[in-house]
Amino acid sequence: MRRPHRRIETQLTVVGTGIAGFAAALFARARGLDVAQVGHSGALAYTTGYLDLLGVADGRKIADPWAGLDALRMTEPGHPFGRLANADIRAALDAFIGEVNAMGLGYTPAGAANLTALLPYGVTKPTLSLPETMWPGAAALAERAPALIVDFAGLQGFSAAEFAANMAAVWPGLATARLAFPGMESLQVFPEPMARALETRETRAAFVARLRPHLGAVTHVGLPAILGVHRPDTVRAALEAELGVTLFEIPTIPPGVPGIRLRELFERHLPGRGVALEPNLKAAEARLDPSGITLALHGPMEDLDIRAEAVVLATGRFLSGGLRAERSGIRETLFGLPVAQPDGREAWFRPAYFDPRGHPVNRLGLTVDDRFRPLDAAGAPVHPRLHAAGAVLAGQDWARSRSGAGLAIASAWAAVNAAGAELGSSPGDPGPTTAPGAAPAQEPGTA
Amino acid sequence: MNAPTERPEIDFLAVARALMPAGATTDACVGCGLCASGCPAAGLFGMDPRRFVNMAALGMNEALSTTPWVWACTQCKRCAYVCPMGIDVSLLVGVARGAWPDDEKPKGIVRSCAAQRLDASTSAMGVRSEDFVEIVEETAEELRESDPRFADLRVPMDRKGAMFVVNQNSREPAVEPEEMGPMWKIFDYVGADWTYSSKGWAAENFCMFTGDDAAWKEMVETRVDAINALEPQVWINTECGHSFYTLWKGIERFGLEAKFEAGSLVSYYAQWIREGKLPVNADWNTLGVKFTVQDPCQLVRKSLGDQAAEDLRFVVKTLVGEENFIDMTPSRQANYCCGGGGGFLQAGMNDERRAYGKRKFDQIAATEAAYVLTPCHNCHSQIEDIGGHYHGAYHVTHLWTLICLSLGILGPDERKYLGPELAGINLPEEA
Ligand SMILES: Cc1cc2nc3c(=O)[nH]c(=O)nc-3n(C[C@H](O)[C@H](O)[C@H](O)COP(=O)(O)OP(=O)(O)OC[C@H]3O[C@@H](n4cnc5c(N)ncnc54)[C@H](O)[C@@H]3O)c2cc1C
Ligand code: SF4
Ligand code: SF4
Repeated sequence: MRRPHRRIETQLTVVGTGIAGFAAALFARARGLDVAQVGHSGALAYTTGYLDLLGVADGRKIADPWAGLDALRMTEPGHPFGRLANADIRAALDAFIGEVNAMGLGYTPAGAANLTALLPYGVTKPTLSLPETMWPGAAALAERAPALIVDFAGLQGFSAAEFAANMAAVWPGLATARLAFPGMESLQVFPEPMARALETRETRAAFVARLRPHLGAVTHVGLPAILGVHRPDTVRAALEAELGVTLFEIPTIPPGVPGIRLRELFERHLPGRGVALEPNLKAAEARLDPSGITLALHGPMEDLDIRAEAVVLATGRFLSGGLRAERSGIRETLFGLPVAQPDGREAWFRPAYFDPRGHPVNRLGLTVDDRFRPLDAAGAPVHPRLHAAGAVLAGQDWARSRSGAGLAIASAWAAVNAAGAELGSSPGDPGPTTAPGAAPAQEPGTA
Repeated sequence: MNAPTERPEIDFLAVARALMPAGATTDACVGCGLCASGCPAAGLFGMDPRRFVNMAALGMNEALSTTPWVWACTQCKRCAYVCPMGIDVSLLVGVARGAWPDDEKPKGIVRSCAAQRLDASTSAMGVRSEDFVEIVEETAEELRESDPRFADLRVPMDRKGAMFVVNQNSREPAVEPEEMGPMWKIFDYVGADWTYSSKGWAAENFCMFTGDDAAWKEMVETRVDAINALEPQVWINTECGHSFYTLWKGIERFGLEAKFEAGSLVSYYAQWIREGKLPVNADWNTLGVKFTVQDPCQLVRKSLGDQAAEDLRFVVKTLVGEENFIDMTPSRQANYCCGGGGGFLQAGMNDERRAYGKRKFDQIAATEAAYVLTPCHNCHSQIEDIGGHYHGAYHVTHLWTLICLSLGILGPDERKYLGPELAGINLPEEA
């Protein structure tokens, strides 16, 4: 049987389906570019859902990320944020959050200061933008509102009692309860199926009946993130209307709902916005030539070549497969781009695991120019229209500085703007963002 | 069924290293549990995909060779879709199934495969080649008599050189022959140059699900030989998904020579609608009846990817009206298996199968649609069954039913899967 061979041509191809990749695809469509995107599951699946910009500097939590960025540019001139102005970072975050809201997932706008967001073990972290389903938790903490924290029999990694105990100093008097989730009274339960089940009226009604007797006099109820995958804001509103309290979600450890929510949101909406998306296929090989870049993909039944005038490489780090540690050193996996690194594995780590300066290996990655183009050993762009964005970039340690999504979104913005300028599209040239015949499917009622 | 008798000792770690691509072997597992969270079989028989991968890494080979969970995993490959490493548990499950002695495997699957090997028809329901020829001719004759519009309808059999060879799930000739009519009418309507093959026509393949590679190969060889002999350009698989996957995958895996391309009927519907040959529309849906659609794993995630999902949506939206289509979430390549696949429907594990299907049921319930369109036969049966079990208020139909409904050529006895609100709509005038 002949194995079909398909070839598509695009102006811009985004490699990677993490935050950086999805942001790049959306920004590129907004500029009117013709866009393809390929990728697979990755670190996005593990996120809390919070959009961090800069939460920690010099090992300390910071309240003002914008001032923090100004300081960072002085202390770490090689940091990718050093190539971006605050105004551009803000524009990028506003555009991204605007897109996500337009797709039906509520996020709070990026403000002037960090918010104090809740984490599963009863600790907090600074972040800039929160899902609407989580924001009331930050607000309730600020007010020390009388709240009930609920966990579920069989759900590992989230304990209401532990949360309340660890919070006691800053949020005293939290009540706790453990419920059996309707229809899932089995040994082990995961947040994802609970969230899916809460999208049905029947499960919501059963859930309300189980939760109501525990409410007492509280005004707020905190739950692990299970309020639906696809329409969390409507699920929350429907439950609040029944219960007469404010609900908020607390992210859980992997495997959690917030990352699944984001992946499914983008995968559901991007094709309708004109992105030719292959969400379950990594690029296997890539070829550079003066006029463009060709990516080869091997699907179950066909081979696919994508010819692109420009590429944004947003393949993440080790977990997502953008970088790989081999005996000879750390490699960029698709193009074999140079990764500047110290000699020998011993230099990747500092002796103390919790060394406040972090480990050098976490800062290795692709060195880029001001247009976010990876550089060769001599310091020249590897290709005039090959750009990189997100966690694959060198000179940053997003996990320590709590800047994962912010760095991904802002660098995607810069990379797309540079690519767009090279391809002759202007920022004010949105073109059609909805493909013909791709109006969103109707939503069922939830009242 | 789980008594550990003599079985070949399998080294699952070695199997993983041999079958899985570099970087996606069980060694790469970070233990995150995304696979278990996203797998409807998680928790059945105390097993889930993460545990399975862990146990493989730990060399717990006997436990893996004996757990009945391998019959509850539908080999849908959703685990590979959610896993950042792309670890595909279904590959290990297939090998584990093969290690079970035949007399301990679920009898329904083994019997279905054995039935397929009895006759050149390859039918799991015991419909022999000559029966098929006869049933098709009788059914066609009735159709010609009952509907003057189709008085000249031909159902070609073993016609060499036709552009398309089309297969047929055994369920129709065996138990509901009138359900073959709508597909024939569609071929007639678009003037398709097609034929059935009296050999190897059956669109089901339980031999792959038994884990017996030799039987799977034999099945695929019989079919490939039959299709090759008719020299078509394209083999079109009926709306069903698993027979599609088992054939093309078998051809690739066993290195068989197939002198044809593989196509899905759903993609041809889409093509014929785009070309104007199949002028369907949603004018009949004046009541605004709501529809959702099941993406068969075997067709979408495991074979054609989002292109098939796109074609499916295009067909459905054209048929029912954009505003009356409500997508399930997740869908396309992220879709959940319904729980009818992998032989689960035939495995006699009804409680587990329905527990698996609860996620599908919740997804459907969340759409609040009145109809679920299921191209695939296994999906059709399972989604009907869980609808009954969990008290869902939906009907389940094939695409061919709606296509003929829209064209005004769906006969009165071709409406058994329609609810009362649609049963009388667009009846052919002469009928
Ligand atoms: C446990 C955890 C918690 C986190 N929590 C937060 C949080 O609370 N707030 C926050 O802001 N950020 C958080 N993050 C960070 C965030 O999820 C991203 O990791 C970060 O934003 C970097 O995004 P990225 O798009 O650059 O890379 P990634 O998210 O790593 O995405 C890379 C993508 O590239 C794909 N890919 C790799 N190779 C190829 C190839 N050859 N072809 C095609 N595709 C390829 C991968 O499949 C993947 O989809 C968290 C991350 C982790 C791991
Ligand atoms: S999703 Fe992949 S990495 Fe995570 S537990 Fe499952 S197999 Fe392991
Ligand atoms: S193939 Fe499907 S049923 Fe089997 S483990 Fe993977 S997700 Fe679960």
